[in-house]
Amino acid sequence: MSYRKAFIASNALMLAAFVWAFAKDFNAEWKPYQKQYYQMAADEMEKQAAAEKDEKKAAELKAEARKMRRTPLEIKQIIANDLGRFDRCVTCHVGMDEYTNTTLKNSFTEHPYKAHPKVDTALIKAHPFSKFGCTSCHSGQGLATQVDAAHGWVKHWEKPMLKGATIQGSCVKCHDNFETLKGAEIAAEGKKLFNKHGCQGCHAINGVGGVVSVELGDIADKPFERIAGYNFKKIRIDGKELPNEHHNNHWNLQNWIRAHLVNDPAAVTPNDPFAHYNAEPIPPSGMPDFREELSAEGAEAITTYLSGLTKEEIIPYRYHVTAAKAREPQLTGAANGKRVYEKYGCQGCHGLDAKQGRRRFNAAGEGQKEYDEKL
Amino acid sequence: MSEPTPNPAPDSDPKPAPAATAPAPAAPAPVKPISRGDFLWAGWGMLAAFFAASAAAGARFMFPNVIYEPSQKFNAGPAASYDVGVSTKWLNEQRVWIVRTPSGFYAMWARCTHLGCTPNWWDDQNRFKCPCHGSNFTLGGDVIAGPAPMPLWRTKVELAATGDLIVDKAILENKPGKREHAPYFANYASA
Amino acid sequence: MPTLDLEKIKKEIIDSQLWRSVFRGGVWKDTPRDRAGHIIGNVWLHLHPVKVRPRALEWLYTWGMGGISFALYLILTLTGVALMFYYRPTIGLAYRDIKDLEFAVTLGMFLRNAHRWAAQAMVVAVIAHMVRVFLTGAYKKPREFNWGIGVLLLTLTLFLSFTGYLLPWDQLAIWAVTVGTNMAGATPVLGNEGPLGSLMGMRINNDVRFTLLGGTMVGENTLLRFYVMHCVAVPLVVGILLILHFWRIRKDSFSAAPYVANEEKVDVWPHLVKREYIAAAATVIFIMIWSILQDAPLEAIANPNVTTNPSKAPWYFVGLQELLVYFDPWIAGVVMPGLIVVGLIAIPYIDTNPKGVGYYAWKERPFANTMFMLGVVMWFALIYIGYALRGPNYAWYWPWESWFLNKPAPPPTWSVFGPKGVGAYSMLIGIPLLGAVGAAWMLLPKLIQKELDGKKLMGGFLGLLALFAAVGMAMGRMNATQAGFLLFLVGASFYYGFVLPQRHIRTLDWPRYLVTMVLVTSTMSILLKMCASLAFDIKYVLTIPALSMNF
Repeated sequence: MSYRKAFIASNALMLAAFVWAFAKDFNAEWKPYQKQYYQMAADEMEKQAAAEKDEKKAAELKAEARKMRRTPLEIKQIIANDLGRFDRCVTCHVGMDEYTNTTLKNSFTEHPYKAHPKVDTALIKAHPFSKFGCTSCHSGQGLATQVDAAHGWVKHWEKPMLKGATIQGSCVKCHDNFETLKGAEIAAEGKKLFNKHGCQGCHAINGVGGVVSVELGDIADKPFERIAGYNFKKIRIDGKELPNEHHNNHWNLQNWIRAHLVNDPAAVTPNDPFAHYNAEPIPPSGMPDFREELSAEGAEAITTYLSGLTKEEIIPYRYHVTAAKAREPQLTGAANGKRVYEKYGCQGCHGLDAKQGRRRFNAAGEGQKEYDEKL
Repeated sequence: MSEPTPNPAPDSDPKPAPAATAPAPAAPAPVKPISRGDFLWAGWGMLAAFFAASAAAGARFMFPNVIYEPSQKFNAGPAASYDVGVSTKWLNEQRVWIVRTPSGFYAMWARCTHLGCTPNWWDDQNRFKCPCHGSNFTLGGDVIAGPAPMPLWRTKVELAATGDLIVDKAILENKPGKREHAPYFANYASA
Repeated sequence: MPTLDLEKIKKEIIDSQLWRSVFRGGVWKDTPRDRAGHIIGNVWLHLHPVKVRPRALEWLYTWGMGGISFALYLILTLTGVALMFYYRPTIGLAYRDIKDLEFAVTLGMFLRNAHRWAAQAMVVAVIAHMVRVFLTGAYKKPREFNWGIGVLLLTLTLFLSFTGYLLPWDQLAIWAVTVGTNMAGATPVLGNEGPLGSLMGMRINNDVRFTLLGGTMVGENTLLRFYVMHCVAVPLVVGILLILHFWRIRKDSFSAAPYVANEEKVDVWPHLVKREYIAAAATVIFIMIWSILQDAPLEAIANPNVTTNPSKAPWYFVGLQELLVYFDPWIAGVVMPGLIVVGLIAIPYIDTNPKGVGYYAWKERPFANTMFMLGVVMWFALIYIGYALRGPNYAWYWPWESWFLNKPAPPPTWSVFGPKGVGAYSMLIGIPLLGAVGAAWMLLPKLIQKELDGKKLMGGFLGLLALFAAVGMAMGRMNATQAGFLLFLVGASFYYGFVLPQRHIRTLDWPRYLVTMVLVTSTMSILLKMCASLAFDIKYVLTIPALSMNF
């Protein structure tokens, strides 16, 4: 090839590569969603205009619809400075952007077009989006503008979006009185079960409780490096192995907590005396198997409660809701003995009503050896 | 170049001048005038000194006088509150083990001398074991297995007048013979 | 209809005051004078000579790597300046700004990718340029000084890449930089953990590592320092050295040797310039396409309390990190890199072979080429081992093994002349014995005046080793793997460290001979120590605890 041809070819290639790069950047994942929303909203308005009898109003609606169709696409974000949130979720979830959809209501049923449910409730009114953003409650990666990244279903994002009832864990972050709150019933149930089954006997929360195992006051901040992928490979949820090695959609903290309640914990955390999979040597889990005592809903409730226990997020004082300390009942005799037994979590190892003897006694002993060999 | 002049230069006259404004007496005739060469050497010398001083100041400039890090010194609480043996009380917060012996205290920086992981204290085996590359250390910090090249570092430890232990992690020693004495060891008679 | 006389319009434009004030020279007639004037009259092109030897245009001779390195430097400058508009070097903002580049800045991700990949490509290109210059003997008189500048530029390229590694402030960044800077703490005399460091009063908060980090650990000050070094200080020094490098190429002339005596030189414009353009354009295209297809990594935000396992340095330093397995940090992290840099700079002064300048001449310079390529191959082999074969806890994992495979705990190690080693006063035996072996190794190749038969020598030595291994195996003290390591690594170091020097450099004068042998023996010591460590679980051959020195 002559240099003249090479000159032309290389310049053509440079231009082509630039166009390719720019096109890739220009065709961002969020754009079709936003565009689709404006179309759907405009269609809706035109339908209303057609049904409208007052001509002036119909013309107004039509003009509004035209404007909607022509809205330039942009990255929208809610800046909640107090809470350190910069949430671009509304870039795709346009129905939840109060500047585009002032009523915050629409008739769409599909994500990401659908509006936020229950916007009229006191719950949402007390937590305006402009002040709280999205991720304060829902978690996920607010800065991201791609579907998987934004929901936190990617490697290296440690707080994926909370699904289903686990979102109630977020109430726990600020509301010390969450046990009495409407809308936080599952988290409240979780706390109740946590204490009922004696988890506090071994796991302290903010210094209250036993020191046998790790403190759970900041369990929601547990870094992923501290949970070996090796352990996730041993987890079964609903009897099934978790898919997708590092995909945080599955390998996440909620599943880690849940796994301790719906598996034999010794299977989740087997013996690792030489720290082959963990950052430090880990003895086999001494946690009793709670599958007999705890229903699936119960495990879910405890998971929800624990996913709100964080210390990482710096929440301004004025966002906190304090609660009065509950008074301890004054009992005597056997009733008091039962109260003390339950308060200090003796039932964690010895079972409800002390019917289980000494569960998982000396886990590193003989029985564990056989267990390891079985694996 | 010119010979060194035996006569003092006019302005370094040892005799005090009678008056500040009095003109300096003319130099005696045999004095060789300062040649251009002498002056150049002085000039180069001063320039070199200027560069050297600037470089030294530049080097000093790179050492911050305040750093926004937790202090290397900390108060480990009353000495009387420790039992004989290894205390991991300050491990998480300060990365230090406080070791009490029958005759006193020493403190060890919980950083493996190989590549800086944190070893764990195993009471039943009476040794520190590093999880990263398997180095083992005795209670005194000496290596008994693994790739660590030298003993664990001991930190400076003092017994304050109040009976509290003051640990300074910036001052370290690990040589046998030195580390057993102050300031790396605080005598404390067992009561 | 009046016809448009394009030639006339062109001439009028070119002759206009405006045009002539900007561009020197009139209408292009492609005369030799025009071609020379094009080079001389243009500030960017006048670094070139007007004419060069035909060989200098040969792709297979130059590989184009010097020019490609410079093209990459320019790409890095442009993309780097662009990235600076969106990046703030504080630990609260740095990571978020990188996320913004990824998600919210037009072409932000592309620019960051291009910057990262161009940086890594530049490391490779600069090393390839050095290899080319070495193989063509282009560092020899009168170009010794420029070779030294080149070595400094290579070092600074690595340092630029290393300082840039911290800026995204993710887990990858903080731990790579922690591993890298911990080696600085092991500097002899100036580091708090280095030999003689504590004698000099070095502490964690006043040693050389403290200056580099601006604190006792990688933190806010470190990020700012690395940012300033990465964006201003080091590029400035690199720019100055580049000017020097180019100017010396011009003054020392291109190295390419003539094909025939009295050959005619060719015009740089257009012959060399068009080749440079194609190389630069190909580089740009390569980086652009790579950046479109592959995103730069970004892990979770930096957390000084959570160590990743395994923690690895940037790939170009993983070779040094691999040496850490065999040597103490002050040797692996300070002495070895120092020897590499000083040794490279010293090469033109110890290589007195006048042959092989400006062309590939393996047969005329067998010793120099073999030893240099051995060094390059070892560097990349160590990088491969460290990067691909080291898993959790830095244990050895073959490519086909999963990192979830349970590796047995490493066997206990021992020291030959040290605790649990040979004899009660093993130090007293070890120092004179090893000293004698070292001195004999250093001196014998030259003291034996006549050339020994390499084949017989090698055969004899391998035979001895095999006998030793056979006895060991018969006694049950050695297995086949150990015997294999012994034969391969010790055999190789005998060949490269004794047979070749004996054959080729025994006639060198003593100072040059000794410097060469220091470099050769320290390279071989890596092979020997790898053998001792991998096959025989030897931790140290000699330890001197009083000085914190272990070998």
